[in-house]
Amino acid sequence: MVTAIGLAAALVVAACGSTSQAINPADQTGTLTVWLMNGSAPQSVVDGVNADFKAKYPNVIVNVEIQQWSNVTTKLDTAFAGSAPPDVMELGNTLVAKYGYNGALADITGQKSSFQNSGTWLQSLTDSCTVSGKLYCVPYYAGSRAVIYRKDMFAAAGATVPTSMDEMLAAGQKLMTKYGSDPNFSALYFPGKYWYAAAPFVWDFGGDIATQSGSQWSGAINSSASQQGLSVLQNLVSKLSRADKTGDELKQDQAFAQGHIAMIIANGWEVGVITDKKSGNPSLLPNLGAFPIPSHVAGQTAPVFLGGSDLGIAAKSQHQALAREWVGLLGGTKYQSQMVTVGGVIPNTTSLVTLSSGLPAIFAAAAKNSRFTPNSPNWANVESSNVLQNMLVAIFTGRSSIPDATKAASDKIATILNASS
Amino acid sequence: MRAAGEIGATKALARSHAEASPFNFRAAVARHSLPYALIAPALLVILGVLGWPLVMLLWLSLQHYGLRELFQHQGTFVGLKNFSTILADPQFAYTLRTTIIFTVVNVGLSMLFATLIALLLERVSRFVRVLLGAGLVFVWATPVIPAVNLWQWMFDYEFGVMNWLLTRIGAGNYLHHNWFENPLQGFSVITVIVVWGAIPFLAISLHAGLTQVPRELVEAAQIDGARAWQVFRHVTVPTLRPLLLVLFSLSTIWDFGVFNQVWVLLNQRPAQDYYLMAVFSFQESFRVSQYGLGSAVAVVMIAILVVATFLYVRQTVRSINEGGA
Amino acid sequence: MRRGIARTGYDAIGVLVFAVMMFPIYWMVSTALKPGTEILSLTPYWVPNPITFDNFKTAIAVPFFWNDVVNSLVVVLTVVAISIVLAFLAAVAVARFGFRGRSAFIVMVIAVQMVPLNALVIPIYLLLDSVGQVDSLLGVIAYYMAVVLPFMIWTLRGFVHNIPVDLEEAAMVDGASRVGAFMRIVFPLVAPGLVATAIFGFIQAWNEYIIAYVLLSSSSKQTLTIWLASFTTQHGTDWGGLMAGATLTALPVVVFFLLVQRHVAGGLTAGAVKG
Repeated sequence: MVTAIGLAAALVVAACGSTSQAINPADQTGTLTVWLMNGSAPQSVVDGVNADFKAKYPNVIVNVEIQQWSNVTTKLDTAFAGSAPPDVMELGNTLVAKYGYNGALADITGQKSSFQNSGTWLQSLTDSCTVSGKLYCVPYYAGSRAVIYRKDMFAAAGATVPTSMDEMLAAGQKLMTKYGSDPNFSALYFPGKYWYAAAPFVWDFGGDIATQSGSQWSGAINSSASQQGLSVLQNLVSKLSRADKTGDELKQDQAFAQGHIAMIIANGWEVGVITDKKSGNPSLLPNLGAFPIPSHVAGQTAPVFLGGSDLGIAAKSQHQALAREWVGLLGGTKYQSQMVTVGGVIPNTTSLVTLSSGLPAIFAAAAKNSRFTPNSPNWANVESSNVLQNMLVAIFTGRSSIPDATKAASDKIATILNASS
Repeated sequence: MRAAGEIGATKALARSHAEASPFNFRAAVARHSLPYALIAPALLVILGVLGWPLVMLLWLSLQHYGLRELFQHQGTFVGLKNFSTILADPQFAYTLRTTIIFTVVNVGLSMLFATLIALLLERVSRFVRVLLGAGLVFVWATPVIPAVNLWQWMFDYEFGVMNWLLTRIGAGNYLHHNWFENPLQGFSVITVIVVWGAIPFLAISLHAGLTQVPRELVEAAQIDGARAWQVFRHVTVPTLRPLLLVLFSLSTIWDFGVFNQVWVLLNQRPAQDYYLMAVFSFQESFRVSQYGLGSAVAVVMIAILVVATFLYVRQTVRSINEGGA
Repeated sequence: MRRGIARTGYDAIGVLVFAVMMFPIYWMVSTALKPGTEILSLTPYWVPNPITFDNFKTAIAVPFFWNDVVNSLVVVLTVVAISIVLAFLAAVAVARFGFRGRSAFIVMVIAVQMVPLNALVIPIYLLLDSVGQVDSLLGVIAYYMAVVLPFMIWTLRGFVHNIPVDLEEAAMVDGASRVGAFMRIVFPLVAPGLVATAIFGFIQAWNEYIIAYVLLSSSSKQTLTIWLASFTTQHGTDWGGLMAGATLTALPVVVFFLLVQRHVAGGLTAGAVKG
């Protein structure tokens, strides 16, 4: 029975390959289903894309369906396994490799040049879409981290915006001296599982998570450079942070809004959460500043992890050309500009990064020096096994030494990345 | 609901008629096939919806089945390899042991508190009974995911009302106390949540059962000078025995399969210390995309439950077939 | 006099138990009534001051909320109405007839409840996909029915078993019609069991998340638990909205219970007592 369904699915896939491209756009019919995640694109952007699409394809119906984050991989796994997954779906950029490699996403390498700005897409996002040299998605938007700080606290403590990691420690220590008697105060609030804020420290000293030679991965998180970065971070955390050493970053904005924190490492959009008039504290806005995570080399900045989302097209979609058209609109100049100005995110192309102004510009600038996680279809398994998070917790709580914790993590990462899937 | 009853009644009455005229051939056929007609719709739904998925679950557990296989609906048969893999995994041994201890503790505590509350419900005034009953139902009716979110937040490291409260009442300094750093403490919190959620159904059921304990028996025992504990032990418990068995079995099944309380409480990223069997199975399936392994864990779970409840099931089948209760 | 003192003592304990059990519920409801600044606070606010209904307003203003309400009601009422009929019929068969295969049926009914449902997500999805019932309320309804039926049959069986056979026959001898006999004699005895079982089925189906989430993708076809999940985004959780949502989700069940609670006391399980 399983085979029977498999065959049926194969037939469906084969059948849709024969869609004729020669039809006049106005005569095209069908329904295009698009999944976007809750909170990703402002409604006005979605409406605009749909209106432009409708103008060209008046007889095609577009259903944009908003999906929830909770257990999203379960939803994606089943949808791709089914006979009719959505034609277009937004995917977190660390998930693309896994779905692309396993045949869920359409290979769009041949059509890359038909997408606007494809020559200037952010390198890290393009990397996230590329598996074994093939392109499986179009970059959608990016997020990068920098330090959000309280200008008023810095001024009161006589601290200045740091331009090196040493200066960051020094500034933090001044803040601790000034405010440390408050048991809730953290100069730098750093929850123990916050891996994406720890990665810049590793990268800055020349370390890495894993390196590839041929098809073989080897763990690099225990290299001496990686360990050096982690020990600098450990020192910062032990002296400046009173955050939960086993907690994650999910509520750091709400904590920051309470007013007992001077610095957090955060995404650009978190400014909005901190100053949200319902759940945050809008009065903090004038006192908020941001600076890139400094390098250990004075005057430089540390490479940051580039988060974000991509737009994929299902391999089983029966409307490949229409799907690419819709994706092209949302990923193109017109609506990417709106994503910056209305949505406040980093666009998918370097040509539009300059549209950011104010605080977002600092985050957008940080995105220029960005890195991505090892691009392997197994990387998602490293993430879902919490290897790096557990390593950080072991280091910060003192349960293991840095050499022991990184060695254990490195071995585990190599095992997972080299596993045949 | 009324329609439901009518159909049932008609059938039941048809049966009485059939019994009244034993020489009627048609009635005899009807009588013979009637029970099958009665169970057919339910059986059809249960088997129609769950039958094939259960077979597929078994079949998945015998295959190498990753994402690629899932998308192509084509796994590779590997015999019992998935089972030998998980049995050799130290995580499995740890998880199984944890789950068994967890189940015993949770079933024990849930049943204990539920029994005490049921006994209490018998003894309070009508107003308090309705108040407490409504409270129990409110707890029962609260959707489990937001309920766990709520508890998570009550035990939060910095915003948690529990830490604040414990510090305030002088139980020690709980400022910035992390409840999940030590798995024993973490599991205590999970136990509180599970028991809290389990009490309403159990207590309401037991209270209903208590109302059926014959008054005369209790009074006779009291006249004979029995103490409250003795009455409970020798009159109440024997009468409630079948109900207690049902509730024990159901609680065992439910607590052995606890998932949401761990998954949601620990932000969908539980450390391995916190794996229970259902979490382990889900992690292998949907997080690591090894559906064969995940299904094998699920099959082992079913097997363990079958063994654990074997005596109860055999006893039940026997007593029903003997026409007793 | 002593009895009076004892009762007051029990009442006091009862109120205490109520307070402990209800504390999380109180926290949920009071949070739903708090303004944003009081919700996440290093020093907790015990009483919302001022009380605000903003969280409820935002919760209800979520797009497709009323759609979700209707869908949840359609799904749950259909599930409860149909499965209570089917469960009752099967319960009558098991309780009143000896037939070949009865033992197997009983074992199946118990065994089905042991299956970890999360492990069935993929198989169920593929099954419903092959019959075109993904993203359809019908598929969800069928699945919920299959999940609640075993428990319902189990509970009702003991209950039907408790009704003396003579009662039905006596009523007929008295000259009552079949339906009349049933309505006057049997139905009142079964009703509490049906109500109690219905509550169980209602709560199960009303609060299910993962299958509804996986199956229902169109915004217009989703149910209330998916609406609840929408308060948690990548940008954090809207606690006030989530707690208001959870309160609104629980309320219908509580109201239903208060309406029928007289019947429930005897019913929730008189059946199971003889189980």
